[in-house]
Amino acid sequence: MINTIHILNIVLPILYAATFAVYAYDFAQHKELLHNSKRAFLFVTLMVHIFYLLARTIEFNHPPITNKDEIFTILAFSIGFAYFLLELLTGIRGTGVFIILFSVIFQILSSLFIEDLVEVKEILRNRLLGAHVISALLGYSGFTISAVHGLLFLILYKDIKLSKFGLIFNRLPSLETLEKLSFVSLVIGFVLLTISIIIGFSWLPSAFPEFSYFDPKLISAGLVWVIYGIGILVKLIANWYGKKVIMFSLVGFILALLSLFFSNIFASSFHTFY
Amino acid sequence: MDLIGISINHKTAPLELRETLFLSTSEIKDLIPKLKKDVFSDGFILSTCNRTEVFGVPLKGVVNSIDIGDYILDYKPVPGIKRENFAGYFACSAIKHIFNVASGVDSLIIGDSQILGQVKESFQISLDWNFAGSVTKRMFDSALKVGKRSINETGIGDGAVSISYAAVQVVEKIFANLNKKSALVIGAGETGELAAVHLKDKEIGNIVIANRTKEKAEKLAEKVNGKVIDFDSIKDELYNFDIVISATGSPTAIVELSDIKNMMKKRKGTPACLVDIAVPRDIDPSAKKIDNVFYHDIDSLEVIVDQNKKFREKEIPKVERIIMEELVNFYSWYNSLEVIPTIKSFRNFFEEIRQDEMEKIKHKIHSDDIDKFNEVTKRLVGRLMHNPTKRLRELSETELSEQDLKTHTLILKELFKLDNNSKA
Repeated sequence: MINTIHILNIVLPILYAATFAVYAYDFAQHKELLHNSKRAFLFVTLMVHIFYLLARTIEFNHPPITNKDEIFTILAFSIGFAYFLLELLTGIRGTGVFIILFSVIFQILSSLFIEDLVEVKEILRNRLLGAHVISALLGYSGFTISAVHGLLFLILYKDIKLSKFGLIFNRLPSLETLEKLSFVSLVIGFVLLTISIIIGFSWLPSAFPEFSYFDPKLISAGLVWVIYGIGILVKLIANWYGKKVIMFSLVGFILALLSLFFSNIFASSFHTFY
Repeated sequence: MDLIGISINHKTAPLELRETLFLSTSEIKDLIPKLKKDVFSDGFILSTCNRTEVFGVPLKGVVNSIDIGDYILDYKPVPGIKRENFAGYFACSAIKHIFNVASGVDSLIIGDSQILGQVKESFQISLDWNFAGSVTKRMFDSALKVGKRSINETGIGDGAVSISYAAVQVVEKIFANLNKKSALVIGAGETGELAAVHLKDKEIGNIVIANRTKEKAEKLAEKVNGKVIDFDSIKDELYNFDIVISATGSPTAIVELSDIKNMMKKRKGTPACLVDIAVPRDIDPSAKKIDNVFYHDIDSLEVIVDQNKKFREKEIPKVERIIMEELVNFYSWYNSLEVIPTIKSFRNFFEEIRQDEMEKIKHKIHSDDIDKFNEVTKRLVGRLMHNPTKRLRELSETELSEQDLKTHTLILKELFKLDNNSKA
């Protein structure tokens, strides 16, 4: 089993890179054959990834959420999977290349540094922690997809304003569709992050005696939650459109990324397990 | 193959000549009986504002394309037209030309979406007026197949190649569901009408027409199931529309920057697409500086049109491959027509021998055995003939050129002293 895990650790970034290449080639060339079969590439990659995650869980006797390298591979999977569902439900295939790029980056980072951890803190085997982390990661995947669609909205908006009718204009869906996809992903991400925060607040204080509300991760996650929450409110109540709402998605995403990196790398608190 | 015909199109003649020669449906229906009497046993006439095509199988004797051209000009004289303005086609080149026309690669606008419908219509007139023989019917089917395959299997018809359609393409990049949007078309002239029709085709939710002459606006509104507003109320009503397409002949601007600012204020920033396809422009171009206002004029839309035209040109080789495939299919069928009489004669020749031999022995055998002998001899002849007839059909459908096929059938006829006067 351990050898299979090591092989898959090398194969996965290659598979994600190949899927990305297929999506990129189709975006540039728009070949009918690839247009229909690229989803199959993504499906196979995700299936291999599921097998890899299950194999790690069984072999090391804990879900792969115990350190940032394991979290990166979960992020790569959840972003790819969330996009796969989105493509399946909406039929929109033009934005995949930009989203799968994030899966490629996270999987490469994970595969480069991931270690075989058999011995982990007992707290990391807790199911509530698993639910807390998984919902947070799925929420961040939603924010990633929202941000990518938001960025594509801004690029297409600018192209149409400037009458630049190139590849972006020809391949992307309409501005209204991009805005809708960005907002729906944002709402899904927000709901999942809310679930994660609720689990965290109800369980963390009892699980960690050194729990503090001034934990950098808590503060940054709270800030991200507030920004996205305001974004949703202004859209629903004030009926804001387009660029203004998109800016909330992008600022929230940048903040989420910064918090993910800095709070894990530099900060040290009860919320840091590795 | 005797098919012969002439074509006058954008490659051979200027627009004024093509327009003058244009034959209306009633003229075509009047001309067909005359052609049937004097020139062709069967054929068809296709006439649009851009081309006139007259093709058919000659009744008898030698008919050349010049004779056909002269005959058409006798019917409808066109001052200033010359013989060079007609392109002549014969046999294979005629079929290929008809396939080219049906596929849209021979059109002024490559991949023209209307031409296939016009070809179909002209074929239908031929059928209705008993001007279609077996060869022309088959040719119609093949030409329509070429046209459909070209649309479905290539990008020859993709993208907008007219300014009005390019305007709708831009609108579609801004809004997802046009059936929930409202559009105002200012100007009910040819361009405005085209834009309104394209919007209707895209199932726009609500379409309103404004024109200085209200009757024209009402006429267009009726055509596109729309409504009409007064031309003078345009500025006050602007905010009600997500899409505004303007195509008037007005020498001065109709919609000023201040009107658009007011419009956006009332719309609370909800996006609006303003497309100005008038020359000179109807809408102040500085509108493009306003947030969520997407302003486009003829120059910017021309970029889309040029891109799509280049794309369609790149698709021509794919269409040509389809044309070649269908030409091969057509000629396989046509060649098989050549061998059928020979095969019939061949069968008759053996059948006569069989019957002759049966006649000779029927008095020498018991009457109960006659049926058995009949059956055996029929089976024997059938088996003897099976391979040569099957092979001849195969050769006609797949492998041989028209000349090779003639040689093969000639050898068969010579060896067995056959003629094509089949009794069957």
